Amino acid sequence: MEPYVESWGEILGPQALDLALLTGFLALSLVSFFRKSVSLRFVTFVAAVAYMGFAKSRLVSVVDMFAVADLSLPIFKYSLNSYLLWVFVIGSTVLWGRLYCGRICAYGALTQLMDAVVPKRLRVDVPLKIEVHANRIKYGLLAGVLAYFLVTRDVSIYRWVEPFWMFGLFGTTGMWVGLGVLLLATVFVRNLYCRFLCPVGAMLGILSNLTVFRIKRWAECNSCKLCEKTCEWGAIRGPKIIASECVRCDDCERLYMDQQKCPHWIILRRKGKMFVSSPG
Amino acid sequence: MKHLQKAAALILTLGAAGAFAFAADRIYTLPDPAAELKRLFPAAAAFSPLAGQPLHFKAFAADPKANPSAPPIGIAFWTTDLVPQEHGYHGPIHILVGMDMTGVLTGVIVTYDSEPYGYFSVQPPKFAAQFKGKNIRDPFRVGGDVDAVSRASITIGSAARAIRDSSRAVAKQLLPPEGVK
Repeated sequence: MEPYVESWGEILGPQALDLALLTGFLALSLVSFFRKSVSLRFVTFVAAVAYMGFAKSRLVSVVDMFAVADLSLPIFKYSLNSYLLWVFVIGSTVLWGRLYCGRICAYGALTQLMDAVVPKRLRVDVPLKIEVHANRIKYGLLAGVLAYFLVTRDVSIYRWVEPFWMFGLFGTTGMWVGLGVLLLATVFVRNLYCRFLCPVGAMLGILSNLTVFRIKRWAECNSCKLCEKTCEWGAIRGPKIIASECVRCDDCERLYMDQQKCPHWIILRRKGKMFVSSPG
Repeated sequence: MKHLQKAAALILTLGAAGAFAFAADRIYTLPDPAAELKRLFPAAAAFSPLAGQPLHFKAFAADPKANPSAPPIGIAFWTTDLVPQEHGYHGPIHILVGMDMTGVLTGVIVTYDSEPYGYFSVQPPKFAAQFKGKNIRDPFRVGGDVDAVSRASITIGSAARAIRDSSRAVAKQLLPPEGVK
């Protein structure tokens, strides 16, 4: 009786389709990001909810952090999809910021799709004072859940700090009620979970301190409030973009490029006109 | 400041040593799986304690003290003892496997897993039930002779490999070669 030797075909075969689809999805998300395209962003959201969410339940979770904490990661060659996603998430966060939260995460995509449908008059803008404190809740939750895991080694706590199980359509009545309350609150406060509660968002927020390519700002941004008002993530405060809160949704960057709306371009044009009209 | 640094270094070293000692230890499983063994071998009258290389239980049709020469009717073992390197999504899945002396599985029992999606993959009795009567020469391929479970492919794949690889290793070392079908 010899040990069963698997061929590479047997290892890669079952993963091939998923690997192709995941690569395709990640490529789509990058194209939508680089082209700053609104329509492609919505295509990415729908793909995230349908494929990454309901079809595969492939979301980065606190469970992945538990696996790193006690060094019990899945075996590489049998889990290529998980590793591809993790490398992409860490790489994209270091390069551009919380891109994962903004368009890869199925739950984030779901609440952003909600955001597009829910009437604007129901929205409540969180006052800055509360927002600053509420942003910190997620870091506390991250520390708390990691400490809880290291003491108890109970992985199943993920169900109570993340709503991601919903894509597997499994849940006890208590879990569904909690999710209902969360989604109802999200009708009034945009992306509530992602901004204030998500431990994965907190971890990526910490990582985004390393971000290499940040959003550039004009000198005019010091006084202009246009982008700050547009940002649905509460990530712009005066002249500063809070990297750990920014998910690279492109809303402000589209404004920068809009020569009819952004004061930077308007001022440049006026200066130019003045220059042309007063040659003396 | 210096004291603080020294203390931090000491704690780190001790922690690493502790983790190492813990990792070197046998993976903890049920200390006394008497009821589980009985379920795998209902016809057995007695079981040997967990011993040998590789670690295993022997199942006997009659008390071996009364009849010391009678051969065992089967062997049971933990996948975590045979293939401790096999990991699912989060760590090893603990499975007690029963095998008769011809290399046919009498059953498997999943006693512990820390898989996030274990509750709909390896915990339902349906998963363990499909291995009863399986020959260890079967391929144990998920989606082939082992049922696939969508959203839990890493977990199911790991459990199936653990059962297959541990059974084959035990058969190679402990079963009479002429007896394996």
